[in-house]
Amino acid sequence: MPQLPEPLERLISELSRLPGVGPKTAQRLAFHLLRADRQRAESLARAIVDMKLRIGFCERCYNIAEGSLCAICSSARRDTTLLCVVETPLDVLAVERTSEFAGLYFVLNGVISPIDGVGPDQLHVPQLLDRVRGDGVVEVIVATDADIEGEATAVYLQRALAPLGVEVTRPAHGLPVGGDLEYADELTVARAIVGRRSF
Amino acid sequence: MELKRLELNNHRNYAHLDLEPGPGVNVFVGANGQGKTNLLEAVAMLALSSSPRARRDQELLGPVTPAARIHAEVESAGRGLEVTITLQGEGERVRRVIEVDGVRRRGFDLPGHFRVTLFWPDDLGLVKAGPEQRRRFLNQMLVQVEPGYARNLAALRRVLEQRNSLLKRIAAGEEAPGVLEAWNAELVAYGSDIAGARARAVEELRPYAAESHAEIAAGERLEIAYIGPPENFGDAVEKSLGDDLRRGSTTIGPHHDDLLIRLDGRDARSYASQGQQRTAVVSLKLAEAALVTRRAGERPVLLLDDVLSELDAERRAALLRRVAGEGQVIITSAEMGPFPADLITGARVWSVNSGRIEACG
Repeated sequence: MPQLPEPLERLISELSRLPGVGPKTAQRLAFHLLRADRQRAESLARAIVDMKLRIGFCERCYNIAEGSLCAICSSARRDTTLLCVVETPLDVLAVERTSEFAGLYFVLNGVISPIDGVGPDQLHVPQLLDRVRGDGVVEVIVATDADIEGEATAVYLQRALAPLGVEVTRPAHGLPVGGDLEYADELTVARAIVGRRSF
Repeated sequence: MELKRLELNNHRNYAHLDLEPGPGVNVFVGANGQGKTNLLEAVAMLALSSSPRARRDQELLGPVTPAARIHAEVESAGRGLEVTITLQGEGERVRRVIEVDGVRRRGFDLPGHFRVTLFWPDDLGLVKAGPEQRRRFLNQMLVQVEPGYARNLAALRRVLEQRNSLLKRIAAGEEAPGVLEAWNAELVAYGSDIAGARARAVEELRPYAAESHAEIAAGERLEIAYIGPPENFGDAVEKSLGDDLRRGSTTIGPHHDDLLIRLDGRDARSYASQGQQRTAVVSLKLAEAALVTRRAGERPVLLLDDVLSELDAERRAALLRRVAGEGQVIITSAEMGPFPADLITGARVWSVNSGRIEACG
């Protein structure tokens, strides 16, 4: 294979380290940037550097933050007795979009997965326990994913948090809103029936 | 349950096939290596979502392109359904896309739309084989009739991978044993669902299997029993910790289940002659079809791959008596020899020749 100029080669190899980007896509992106205006390329480079410079993680909840605390932790209007534990900052966004939750968050930074060498100590579990011990939290909602690892993590947290005297809850399973019962998958319908409620 | 139309593109040795089988008995005749089993495999995949014999999906891709497609029009519970399985080779991996009536489904959500009972030469060793093959027998049936079973099986597999990996990490001092509790809870939750479904199914199979066996084998008594996880599953898992840590694997759970088969009170695995074993297998397969029929309210499509020639005249007749005349049957055979004339009269006969199928007469 003919050798590409070194700077182009380097860009391709950097791009191909991004999640979801294979060598072919990396090549296409690199050549796209090569053809683009100098301004576009500089603006992209600046955006990446600025983001890294200005955004970090919240000291209290590990959500993304501009500064030492995230916007949610620094707000005075949040209910500090309610804590919602999620896997990633994207999950914070998902719950925030609902405007249904007025409490605070705690980002675990993943789930327990022995195959990947991830246990409670690789997550922010010790910090979570400290937080719950010290901070007047009354209820912890464990909103990890409903997959195998998410469930195992929830079970682990439930057992670790229960002795601290807080109420530990898990979001309900139910039918998708506005969805057709006929098209919901069987397990979802089954769980929704088991978890039914009176009007 | 009926397979109305089957289209294959680049599946194994079929470059292209467009087949409309008849509603009754269909016999596919051809020499070995012409594609008879490949045909049945494709039909079985429509019911099970993965191939019952390929170890890797890669094997299923034909020589033409890195993609294969199985498309079928089936009739299920009186209504037409279209099922499509597309395999796309991407380097070492194969991506499987499943659609039912144009809607994407995950692999474990496909079974139950189209149901088959598959009987092929591998099954003839069911009695003497290891427990894994008998669990596969139960699984293949249950994914098709027990909602959530396929998903629970996939979940159990994942839980075991994680738990076994954790056991090794704990043994190596890389992780505290406290985390294990969470995985024990998952193992017991999914494991109990699976064990419960298996126990109910074996109870239900028992009278059907006994009846067919007694009929074929002049009153010989066939009994089956499910050997599942211990009564107090959760406690047993906790007590097994020492063993589990030593072996680095999970010693208690439905992945060690077995199906006990007894003939006239004796364990068939050690005592049965080859003839008796085969009668027992035929009876179990007939019982499977009966259970699926009862649970689903209609007969599954029966797939018989070259097993008739392996059975003697009496067992063959007993099997055919039960299966012909009702529902759709797809039979493959190397020759027309083993078929009684009255079966052939109403049947559609097809010839299979290097990935091509043609109607005969």
